[in-house]
Amino acid sequence: MMKFKNLGYFFREALKSLSRNSLLSIATISTMTICIMLLGAAVLMTINTGNFMNRLESDIEIVAFLDNSLSKSEMSDIKDEIEKLDGVESVAFVSKQEALENVQKKFNDADYDLGKTLGKNPLPDTYTVKAENPKEVAALAQNVKAIPGVYKVNYGQGVVERLFQVTKWVRIISIGFIVLLAMGAVFLIATTIRLAIFARRKEIYLMKLIGSTDWFVRWPFFIEGIMLGLVGAAISVGLLAVGYSALVSSMQTALFFIPLVNQQNILISLYLGLLATGAFLGIMGTFISLNRFLDV
Amino acid sequence: MLVQFYNVSKVYPNGVKALDDISLKIDRGEFIFLMGSSGAGKSTLVKMLFREEVPTRGQIFVASRSVVRMKRSEVPQLRRNMGVVFQDFKLLENKTVTENIAFAMKVVGTKNKEIGPRTAEVIQMVGLKGKEDSFPGQLSGGEQQRVGIARAIANRPLLLIADEPTGNLDLDTAQEIMELLYDINRKGTTVVMATHARELVKTAGKRILTLEAGRVLSDVSGQELL
Repeated sequence: MMKFKNLGYFFREALKSLSRNSLLSIATISTMTICIMLLGAAVLMTINTGNFMNRLESDIEIVAFLDNSLSKSEMSDIKDEIEKLDGVESVAFVSKQEALENVQKKFNDADYDLGKTLGKNPLPDTYTVKAENPKEVAALAQNVKAIPGVYKVNYGQGVVERLFQVTKWVRIISIGFIVLLAMGAVFLIATTIRLAIFARRKEIYLMKLIGSTDWFVRWPFFIEGIMLGLVGAAISVGLLAVGYSALVSSMQTALFFIPLVNQQNILISLYLGLLATGAFLGIMGTFISLNRFLDV
Repeated sequence: MLVQFYNVSKVYPNGVKALDDISLKIDRGEFIFLMGSSGAGKSTLVKMLFREEVPTRGQIFVASRSVVRMKRSEVPQLRRNMGVVFQDFKLLENKTVTENIAFAMKVVGTKNKEIGPRTAEVIQMVGLKGKEDSFPGQLSGGEQQRVGIARAIANRPLLLIADEPTGNLDLDTAQEIMELLYDINRKGTTVVMATHARELVKTAGKRILTLEAGRVLSDVSGQELL
C-alpha cells in the first residue's frame, strides 16, 4: 500500500500528468460533469417523484359509514374497536352535521342552504380511519367493515390498488435509470482515462520491468482520477444547485400544487453524495483502464 | 549458479511454439550471448528471466528462487535484481538523462539522498558526463543506449539482460557499447545478451548459446572458442 514518504511524489506525478495532458484532462472533466449532471438530475427527479408518491399514498384514508340507529355509547364502542385493530394510525369522528357542512362548503354559496333543500340530513355519521401503512388499507378496511354497526367502508377501492402499481413501477424505473446512467458514466470515464494511460504505457511498462509494485504505478493515476472526478462533480453540483433552486422558486409561485423537495439537509447530502460519486467514478474508471497495462 | 532452466517449453496461445525443452545454466559473473535468427526463441527466453513470460512447461530458477511458482506480488523483488537494456532504448522522452536514471531508482524505493550521488556515478561510468541535462531526443543512438545501460545498472543488479542492445546502432558505436558491457561484466555483474550480430560475437571470446526453432543448437564456452 501507500508509503507516506511517496505521497509527495504521487501528487507531483498526478499534477504533472494532468497539466501535460491538459486536453485529455478537460475532456475527462467534461464527460464527468455531464454524467454527474444527468445522474444528479435523475436522483432529484426520483426524490421528487418519491415524495409526491408518498403524499398521494398518505392521503389515502378509510371512511367507515355507521348505521343511523346507533346510540352515542355504541358509537364510541365502535371507535374503541377500530382503534384496537392492528395498523391503525388515527380515527376521527365526522358527524352527519359536519359532513353536510363539508358538502355545503363545496357549493361555496352562502345564499344557498343545502340543509333546507334536503329537509332531513341524508348523510350518515362516519369515522375516518388512517392506516399506519397505506399499503395495508385494503386489509384494514375489511376488518373495519366486520365491526357491527359499520354498514359500509369506502377507501377508493380499485383506484388505490392501481395507484400502488403505478408508484411501484415509477420507483423501479427511476432506480433502473440511475443504475444505467451510473454504468454509462463509468464506461465513458474509463474510456477517457484509458486514453491518458495509453499515452503513458511505455512508462508503465518500464516501471513494471524495473520492479515497481502495482500500487506504486497506480497511485498517481488514482490521484489523477480522483482529482478529475472531483472537479467534474464540483462543476455539475454547482450547476445543479443553481438550476434546482431557480426551479424551486419558480415552481412555488406558478405550480404550487406540485411540491418540490427543498429541505436543505436532503439537498446538501445529495450534493455531497454526487461529489463522492465523482471521486468514486474517477477511481473506478482508472482501475478498469489501468489493470490491463499493469499485466506485465 | 544464478540462472537455471529445466526442460522449459513455451507455446503461445496462438499455437506458436517459441521454446522447446530448453535446459541451461548460467553462473554468477558469466557473460553469455544468446544467438539465433529472429523467431528462434531468444526474446522469449530473455522475457522469462524477468517473468514477462512464464513457461508452459518446465522450471526456471533465478538466484535459487522459482520464477514459475512465484506469486505476482513477488515479481517486483525479482526484477529489482535485474537490469534490462532494450534495442529501442525505451527512454522517457520528456525526462532528462539524469531524470531517466533517477526514475528507475525512485520506483524501487531508493532514498532520495542516495539517488543523486548514484546517478552521477553511473553517468560517469557510462561516459555521459556533461550530458546530464540533455533530453533523449538531443542524443545520438549510442548515447541513448548508454543512458539505457546506466539506468539498468543504477540499482546494482545481479543480472544485466540486454535484448539486441546494438540492433539500432552502427558497427563502431556497437563496439563501444560492447566494451561498456564487458566492463560492467568485469566488475562482477552477470550479463545475458541476445543478439544476431555475428561479427560482434565472434571475436569476444565469451560463451555463445545458439537457438534454432526453440531448441539449443549449440552451447560453446569462451575457452573453446579461443
